[in-house]
Amino acid sequence: MPNLTINGRNMSVEAAGDTPLLWVIREQLQMTGTKFGCGAGLCGACTIHLNGEAVRSCQTSVTEAVGKKITTIEGLSAKGDHPLQKAWIVEQVPQCGYCQSGQIMQAAALLSRNSNPTRDEVVAHMDGNLCRCMTYSRIQKAIMRAASEMRTASNAGTERRPT
Amino acid sequence: MNSHVKITSRGPADLSRRSFLVGSAATGLVLGYAAVPGLDQAFAAPSNFEPSTWYSIAPDGIVTVTCGKADMGQHIASTMAQMVAEELGANWKDMRVQLASNDPKFNDPVLGAQITGGSWSTMMNFDAMSRAGAAGRIALTDAAAAAMGVPAAELVVRDSVISHPKSKKSMSFADIVKSGKATKTFTPDELKAIKLKTPDQYTLIGVSVPQLDIPSKTNGTAKYGIDVMLPGMVYGRVVTPPVRFGATVKSVDDSAAKKVPGFIKTVVLDDKTGSTSGWVVAVANNYASAKKAADALNIAYDNGPNAKLSSESLLSEAKRLQALDDSGQFFVKDGDTAAAFGTATKVMEAEYTTNINIHAPLEPMNAAAEFKGDILHIYSGNQFATRTGQIAAGAAGIDPKYVVMHQMWLGGGFGRRLDADMMIPAVQAAKAVGKPVKIIYSRENDMTMDYSRPLTYQKVKAGLDADGKLIALNHDVVSAWPTARWGIPDFLTPSVDKKGPLDSFTVNGADFFYTVPNHQVRAIKNEMAHNATPSGQLRSVAPGWTFWAVESMIDEIAHASGKDPALFRIELLDGKGKNDGGAQRLRNTLLAAMGLAGYGTGKLPKGEGMGVACVSSQERASASWTACVAHVAVAPSGEVKVKKLTVATDVGMQVHPDNIRAQVEGAALWGLSLAMYEKATLKDGGIEQTNFDTYTPLRMSQMPEVAVNVIANGDKPTGVGEPAVTVIAPALGNAIFNACGARLRALPITAEAVKAGMKA
Repeated sequence: MPNLTINGRNMSVEAAGDTPLLWVIREQLQMTGTKFGCGAGLCGACTIHLNGEAVRSCQTSVTEAVGKKITTIEGLSAKGDHPLQKAWIVEQVPQCGYCQSGQIMQAAALLSRNSNPTRDEVVAHMDGNLCRCMTYSRIQKAIMRAASEMRTASNAGTERRPT
Repeated sequence: MNSHVKITSRGPADLSRRSFLVGSAATGLVLGYAAVPGLDQAFAAPSNFEPSTWYSIAPDGIVTVTCGKADMGQHIASTMAQMVAEELGANWKDMRVQLASNDPKFNDPVLGAQITGGSWSTMMNFDAMSRAGAAGRIALTDAAAAAMGVPAAELVVRDSVISHPKSKKSMSFADIVKSGKATKTFTPDELKAIKLKTPDQYTLIGVSVPQLDIPSKTNGTAKYGIDVMLPGMVYGRVVTPPVRFGATVKSVDDSAAKKVPGFIKTVVLDDKTGSTSGWVVAVANNYASAKKAADALNIAYDNGPNAKLSSESLLSEAKRLQALDDSGQFFVKDGDTAAAFGTATKVMEAEYTTNINIHAPLEPMNAAAEFKGDILHIYSGNQFATRTGQIAAGAAGIDPKYVVMHQMWLGGGFGRRLDADMMIPAVQAAKAVGKPVKIIYSRENDMTMDYSRPLTYQKVKAGLDADGKLIALNHDVVSAWPTARWGIPDFLTPSVDKKGPLDSFTVNGADFFYTVPNHQVRAIKNEMAHNATPSGQLRSVAPGWTFWAVESMIDEIAHASGKDPALFRIELLDGKGKNDGGAQRLRNTLLAAMGLAGYGTGKLPKGEGMGVACVSSQERASASWTACVAHVAVAPSGEVKVKKLTVATDVGMQVHPDNIRAQVEGAALWGLSLAMYEKATLKDGGIEQTNFDTYTPLRMSQMPEVAVNVIANGDKPTGVGEPAVTVIAPALGNAIFNACGARLRALPITAEAVKAGMKA
C-alpha cells in the first residue's frame, strides 16, 4: 500500500501504483475540492501541487507522487485565507466554481516563485486552465490583487524585522 | 416518450392558486406557500408531507432561503435570498441558502415546475420572493408590536432588528422567533394586497452584496453532484457506442473485465425513456477499477439507422426540406410576403448555417442513485428536477412519486443539465448491484453523448422597394427540435397556420422588433438531425442562431441599399404597432452601445472594422434589450483579431449589478467562443470531437477586451445569463465585412472563410 504525504499528513492508500492520483484524492480520501474535468491534462480542473509545482493530478500516478509533498486546495491555507483565496472572494470570481480550485492552485504555483508577474506572464501561466463560465478577466484581476498583497505583506515583514 | 410529464401552467403568476402560510414552529419560523390540494398532482410526490417552505428563520436569527432553481454559477440562490431579504428587512449577514429537493412545493411560482432556463428565474420569482419576504416582515412586526405594546405602524424594520424609535425599544428577529409569537397567516388576497417597497426604498436590491456561495467555491467545500459520497457506494463507468443515437448492444464479452480487481458487474442498459441507446455500465468498487473494467469490455453493436449520417447529410437534408413549399409550420405570418416580393424592386437571398455545438460544462455529467426502502434517492446537479425525477422513475420502473432528487451545486449547466440521461445508468446499475452507485461520465462520454446545439440551416429572402425600404422578409429555420424531444405539449407553441404545434425554441428571436410589413418565419423540423443528434437547449437556445441570420441579413440589406447598418436598424425600430415599447428600448440600447464604442466617430486603420448587432433575446415576451459593437482587425491571411466587444443591455432593474456584469461578460465570451472557436461535427453517426483538444472553447489568451454597460430604467428585471451570447456572432460577422469586405454566413467563422470572402 503506497504512502502519500498530502497536506502535511501521511496517508496510506489502497490503490495500484498506476492509478491517477486524482481518483485516490477525490474518491478514496474524499477530498473532493480537486475536480475531474477531462482526464487528459487539457483543462486544469484537477491541478494540485507536487513539491510546490502545479501538476495535473489526472496525469500523475500514485507511484510518481510517493515521497513527494502533495498539496490540494484543502491544504493551500489553514483557513481558506491564502491571498489568492481572499482575492477570489474580493473580486467575486467564481460563477459555477467548478474550475476554481484548479485555477487557484495553478495561480498559487506562479505567485510562489514570482510575486510580481506581468499580465502576459499570468496569461501564459494560466492558459491551460479552462473556465467554461469564462471568468477569465476576474481571475486575472484576482491574481494581480493577490500578488500585490503578497508583495505588501512581505515588504511589511521585512520592515518589521531588524537586520 | 415522457408524455406522462405535464407542465400545469406557463401563464403569468397566479397567486390565488396558493395560500400563504406563516406559522411558528418550535425550531423556528417557517414561511412559505402551501400548494392548494390537487394543484401539483401532476408531479406529486405525496410521500413528502413536509410543510412547504421558501425560507425559515431560526431562533438564532439565521434566515435560510430554499432555492428551487438550479444554481449553475448564475448565483440564483443568492439572488433569491437577496429578494427575500429586501422585503423581510434582514441583515445580509444573516442570510443563508440551501437547494431544494424535487418536492413539487418548490415548483416555480410561474412555471408550475422545477426547471431552470430561459434566463427566467429572477423575472419570474421577483414578485413571489418579494411577497414572501414582505409577509414575513409583517408577521414579525405584528408580533413585535404586541410584545412591546406599541402600534405596529410605528415600528421600523432594518438589519434583522425591529425597533420603536419613540420608546427606543427594539427586538431582533431572533428574539421574536424565540418568543414563538409570530403567527400571522395570510390569505391569497391579503398576500396579493401587500404593498411592496418602491425602488427608492430599496436597501439591498441594486446592491452588489457578496454572493453567498462564493467562499465555498474558493476552498473546495462546495459540493457538486460529482462529489456525492454515499455509504457503501460503488462506481459505474459508462461505455457508449460509436454513434450518437440509435445503436443497440448485440453482445458483451466481459471475461477480461472480470479479471480487474474490484470489478462487480456489467450492466447493459434497458432504457425505455429513450434517453440513451446502446449503453453499457461497468460497475466496480472504485472508479479506477470501473474504468479499467470498462476499457476491458468487448462489446458488439448494431449501430442502427443513423450510422452513415454526417454533418453534410444533415445539412443537405435541411436544404431539401427548406426547398419544399409545404414543409414546416409558421411561427410568424404578417402581411403577404409573396405579393410584396412581386412589387419589390430588389430581392436578396442568403443562407446562414451553424454547426453542432457541445455544452461541455467542466463538471462532466454524473449522478448517484440509491434505493432505500420504497424510495429511490437520486443525487445530481440538475436543471429540470420535475422531468428528471420522472426519467429516473422510468429507468427504475417505479412510480415517480417515489423518487427524491437531492439537488447539488452545478459545475456548469448551460442547458445540458436540463436532461436526465445520467439517471439511467445510475439507477439501473444501482438496481442491478443492490448498492448505491455513482456514475461519472468520462469527458469522452460527455462530449460524444451531448444533447448538443443542433446544426442549423436558415434561408432568408428580403424584398426592398424603390427607396431601399425593407418591405418583405421570409425566414426559414431548419433544425432538430430540442424542446419537442421532451414530449411536453405545454412547452410547444401553436403555429399561426394551425398546422400543429411547433418548437418555438428553434425560432425565438426571428419574431424581432423591426417593423417589416410583410414578414413570415417558418419553423422546419429536420427529422434526420432530430433522430441522429438528439439536441438540447444550449445557452441562449434559438436566438443563438436566429439572430446570426437576422442580424447578418439586416446588415447585408443595409449595405445593398447604401445605408449605414446601424442607422438602418434604427429606422426599422420605429416602434409601430406590436413593436411599440420594445423597439424603442432596443433602439436606445443600440444607440448606447454605439456611443460607448465610438461607432462611426473616426476613421479606423486599414484592415479594421466595427460592426453592430442588436437583439431581443431570449423571447419576445421576456427580452433583455441587448446591442453590441464589435471591433476587429483582419489580417491578409484572414486571421481575425477581436479588439473589443462593447455590449449594452437594458435589463429593466438590477437586483445585483456586479452579478449582471459577470453574467453578461460570460455570455458575451460564450458568444465569441461559439462564433470563432467551437465546432463539432458528425461522421458515421458519431460526434468526432471527444475532448478539449479537438473541441476548443475560448481560453484566457483568446479573451478580448469586453466592455459591459447596463441600462437599468426601473422596469421589471429581465434575464441576463443568455441574451448577450446571441449578439456577438452577427456583430463580429458585420465587423469583419466592414474591415475587409468578406461576408460570413457560416459559424464558426474561420480564417479560411474570411480569406476566401475577401477574394470574392
